Formats: sequence, C-alpha cells, structure tokens
Amino acid sequence: MSTMLKIENLHVRVAAREILNGVDLEIPSGEVHAIMGPNGSGKSTLAQVLAGREDYEVTSGRILLDGQDLLALPPEERARAGVFLAFQYPIEIPGVNNAYLLKAALNAQKTARGEQPIDAFEFMKLIKTKMELMQIPKDFLNRSVNQGFSGGEKKRNEVLQMLLLAPRLAVLDETDSGLDVDALKIVAAGVNSLRSPARSMLLVTHYERLLELIVPDRVHVLAGGRIRRSGGPELARELDARGYDWVQAEAARS
Amino acid sequence: MTATTLERALAAGRDSLPGSPASRPSRAAALAELGTAGLPTTSRENWRYTDLKPLWEAEFELAPRAPDAASIRAAAQALAAQGVPADGPRLVLVDGHVVPELGTFDPGATGVEVRDVEAYWARADAKSAGRIAAADHPLAALNTAYAQSGVWLRVADDVRLAEPLRLVLVASGAAKLAPQVRVVVELGRGAELTIVQHVVDAVDSDGWLNVVTEVEQAAGSRLALYRVQEHGRRRVHTSLLTVGLAARASAALGFIDLGGRLVRNDVDVKLREPGAAVELFGLLLAAEGQHVDDHTRIDHLAPDTRSDEAFRGVIGRRGRGVFNGKVVVHPGARGIDARQSNDNLLLSDQAEIDTKPELEIYSDDVKCAHGSTVGELDAEHLFYLRSRGVAEAQAREILTTAFATAVLERIAPPGVRAPIAVKVATRLRAISELPQ
Repeated sequence: MSTMLKIENLHVRVAAREILNGVDLEIPSGEVHAIMGPNGSGKSTLAQVLAGREDYEVTSGRILLDGQDLLALPPEERARAGVFLAFQYPIEIPGVNNAYLLKAALNAQKTARGEQPIDAFEFMKLIKTKMELMQIPKDFLNRSVNQGFSGGEKKRNEVLQMLLLAPRLAVLDETDSGLDVDALKIVAAGVNSLRSPARSMLLVTHYERLLELIVPDRVHVLAGGRIRRSGGPELARELDARGYDWVQAEAARS
Repeated sequence: MTATTLERALAAGRDSLPGSPASRPSRAAALAELGTAGLPTTSRENWRYTDLKPLWEAEFELAPRAPDAASIRAAAQALAAQGVPADGPRLVLVDGHVVPELGTFDPGATGVEVRDVEAYWARADAKSAGRIAAADHPLAALNTAYAQSGVWLRVADDVRLAEPLRLVLVASGAAKLAPQVRVVVELGRGAELTIVQHVVDAVDSDGWLNVVTEVEQAAGSRLALYRVQEHGRRRVHTSLLTVGLAARASAALGFIDLGGRLVRNDVDVKLREPGAAVELFGLLLAAEGQHVDDHTRIDHLAPDTRSDEAFRGVIGRRGRGVFNGKVVVHPGARGIDARQSNDNLLLSDQAEIDTKPELEIYSDDVKCAHGSTVGELDAEHLFYLRSRGVAEAQAREILTTAFATAVLERIAPPGVRAPIAVKVATRLRAISELPQ
C-alpha cells in the first residue's frame, strides 16, 4: 500500500526545550497505528505538531501527507488536506454553538475541495445518524461548544466532529483518557466505523485498553523524543505487562 | 475671540430659552445652575477620558425649529433603511420634535398617556422636573433649559403594554444642530412597558444630539428599555438615563452603541425601596476614531435590592472605549446582591480601553462580585476552530461575534434581539476587516 503519512527525522522544540529529537514514522494508507509511551515522552507534542500548533518550533525534519509538505501549511489548510486532531483536552468556546461550528467547518472543507457547501437541511440529515452513533442528545447542537460538557461528552464530541469531517488522517490524542468502560466502547465504535482503506489513523495513548477495542496494525513506543521500538498489537500487551522502564533502559544503552 | 454657542447661551440667560411661559421657570433655574456648575472639562474625574471641548468651541443651534417636509421625508427613508419596524406602536422625534405623521402609536384606551414634555416642565407638582443636579450632570441641565417638545409617557397602574413601544430619535442632516431631546417615563404600580429607543441619523452630519431620559417606577412595575444607537460616524451623542425604582420594581436597561464619533452615556439608577432590582448591560463597538464612554452609577438605598451589571466592548483600530461603573451600597442597606462585570476585546494594537469598576460599600450583609478584563481573542479558541478547517479570518469573526452577542442574550424579546444581533454582526465584520 502507498504511504499516506511520512515523518522524517522530526525535531521539535517547545520554549527552548527539545521535546522530539528525530522521530521517523510511516503510516500506509488504510492502517491504524498507535503511539504509546510514558508521560512526557512527546506523544502529545507529536499530535499537536501534526495539526499545526504554532507555539511548537520544528527545528528540522519533514512531515509529508500524500507527498505534500504539511509543515508549510497553516492549521486550517492541513484540516482541508485531511488532517483531523481529536484534542486531549477539548476546550469550551462560550457563545459558539455546536451546529454552527460543525457546519462552518464542513463547508470550509467542502469549499476548499471545490464542492458545493451543504444547506441546513442536508446538514441536519447528515449529523443526525452520527449523533445517534455517539449517543449524543439532540439539544447538544444548540449548546455552546463543549460548554458544561462532562469529560466523556467532550471526547465523544471530538469523535462526532471526526465522523462528520471524515478526515484522511485522524490523530486521536489520548481520546481514551478519563473515560469509563461504556464511554470507551462508544468512542471505539465511532472510531472503528471510520476505518477504511482510504483513511489512516494515529492513536496516541497511554493505556493498552483502548487498543483492545481499536486493534492497531502497528504499535510504536515513543520515549525520550524518539521512537524506540515498533511492533504489532502484541507490543501493546507487552508494555501493559512490563511497563515502560525496559524500553527506556534499552534506549539509554543504545 | 468670539463667544461660543454655550457662552452666548449662558450670557443671554432666560431670554434665549425656548418653550412656553409656564415652563420658563424650570428652564431658567436649570440654566442658572449650569452657569454656577460650569461645563465639564477633563480636569473633572467623571470626564477625565472624554473631552467635550470640541462641543464648547463649536457653533450649535441648541433649539432647532420643527423639521420641514423635506427633513421628515429624509427621516422616513432613514427609518426604512435602518429597519425600524413600523408595524408595532412607535413614536418618532426628528431633531427633538415629535412628528405625528411618522408615528403609529395611538394610545387610545391603552392606559398609556403621551404628553408634551412642556407640560411636564410646567406641572404644579414638578418635584423632579429639571431637578437633576447640574453639578453631577451639566449636560442634563442644558437639556432641561433647551429641550423642545419631547415626550412624557405615563402608564397607569396595572397597565401592561404587550408590544414593545419604539421610540425613535432621528437627527436630521441640517448643519450644526444640537437638539436637546427629553423623554420622561412614569410607570404606575404594577405597570409593565418595553421601550426600544432607536437613535438614527437621517443624514450623517457634524451635529450633536443630547438626550435625557428620566424614568420613575412605582411599586411592582417592570420596565425594559433597550437603546440602539446607530448614528453616522460624524455625530456627537451624549445621553443621561436616570431611573428611580420603588418597592419590588424592576428594570432591564440595555445600551447598544454601534455608531457616532464621540459618545458619552451616563446611567444613574436609584434602588430606593426594598425588593427593587435592576439589570443593566451594554455593548460598545468602536473603531476608526470612534470614542464611546459608558459611565454608570447604581445606588442601593434600601435593603434587599439587587443589581446585575454587565458591559462589553469590542474595540478595533483607532477606537477607544471607556467604562466607569460605580456601585454604592448605602448605610443600612442589608441583604444586597450586586454584580458587575466589564469585559473588553481589543482587536488592534491601536485600540484603547479605560475601565474602572468602583464599589463603595457602607453596609454589611452584602454580596458583591465585580471584575473587569481586557484582552485579545483566546489563542486556544482560534487554534481549535482553525484545526477544523475554518480560515483564520472567519475564526476571528466567529469568536468576536460570540463575545459580543453574549451581551445581547439579555435582550428578552426575540423579535427585538434578532435584528439587533444582525446589526451588531454587520458592524463587527466591518471592524474585523480593518487592517489591524
């Protein structure tokens, strides 16, 4: 299969501190990869850099999506090229209602692709089934983005946005954190419904339990700003059993 | 050096005053008081940020004649262009004169009485007529002296007017007019009234509109007064609203400022008896040389009174906003709930806001919360919207509109709120599109 995402020798600095120092990663089209690693290993930094957060400084390296240089694009153009980040901590935006944001985002992306924007009626039809899948109540559309939502509702809202925008590359940053088992199942069902040969996913997670529900094609261990190990789904179970110390110890020796 | 309009007015004394002989004593007293108090200058704390010197130095006609047919036609066109509704009850004043042919309000048997403000000046029991102290509000004294016909509205006990009354103040395009507009509203016990005060220009000009609105509310009455100021960008606008509330009376007062070059709004609310409550809010948009100053004062004079005040400003390039909000809790006023907030969004390095919340508390058993913020759009909010594919300019517009419209939520009738929200969004878009 063709490579969708290619990260080469990525170095990233945040406030003069080097967080990533030489990440190499390739995700073929249609595959789901997981990035695991201890706290502070740079997992979230990688996710944010993919989405284009500006306070992260890329000092060297490249990120290519379908051969296109992502680092040259502002966040909105990355989104239109097909990148979607499900935020670890989705923020509340008072006064901006969910329906408005969802429709503005969808139509911005459609317009950029040369498609016709959709009207309110079509939008309602499109969002309804996706809300049912994510078990999000109807009144949600008229509420402000994430305002007054529980932690679990915020995460489900991120996945709902992802379902609507149907990205080419979905990056989920600890979407499992803070979820109980039932909410985790809902989120996993949403994510699995999007798996397709034309779509790739990068799951950033701390825990193996998400990967029991969304089984990845590859698992990578990020430690000390670099990928130290890669393997199949069994690597996640090994990490769950043994912790991260042995990877870090190996990294220190190499 | 030639004497200015105001110097000449003061020197001429009562001989220069308009109105009937019956109203002359009230007018003359106000003029004399103004002479003693003097005109406001920036050396007075209350006028520190707003310099009215251009007014004192200019030539103005303080008591314009009643509008001619051409002015009335221009006013009618302006009302249509600004979307002032004609289907509900409305009263229209052009340059301070009531123009019956533009109004649609027939008080008939509604229990609402509409009279000439002259009658208010002249009434025998004029306890409060012209009694606004010139030392506190010099422009109000000038208004008392020179106001033309104006409107005196009285709503009888327990009368509830279901539809909002549109009170439309039009400034004509005639050169150098300074109409002094007076509105008096008296609500009887248990009366209910909603007023939307539209302030518009027939033609943008260098004129000055000085409006004084006096409200007295009897026990248990309810007033909603929303003022939408949409002057052209050359006009000076000054206003004073005084509201006195008796037991359990409540008022919702909203100030939306979209236009004008130099704007000063004074609001003075007195919660005189237990159970009185006021909700006071405002939104100012300023850019391109606009200066908008909101000065408010709320006096808690009795126990168990409540005030909830929230003003917001969105300031673009070369705009300036001022907020000064004073809340005074008087001795013996127990069980007080007073909230105040002032939040401002600066869209440019060349935008300025001066904000000063003031609390004076001379009582215990008081629940007070106040705060003010000045800032730019939240970078996290912007990134979130952009990460969904929304262009930066659109993301800024969405967030700016959300900030501003949060205040408009306080306008209760949806039919009043929605058209105002559209006007606010339109003006915000223009301000946002300026080079920052």
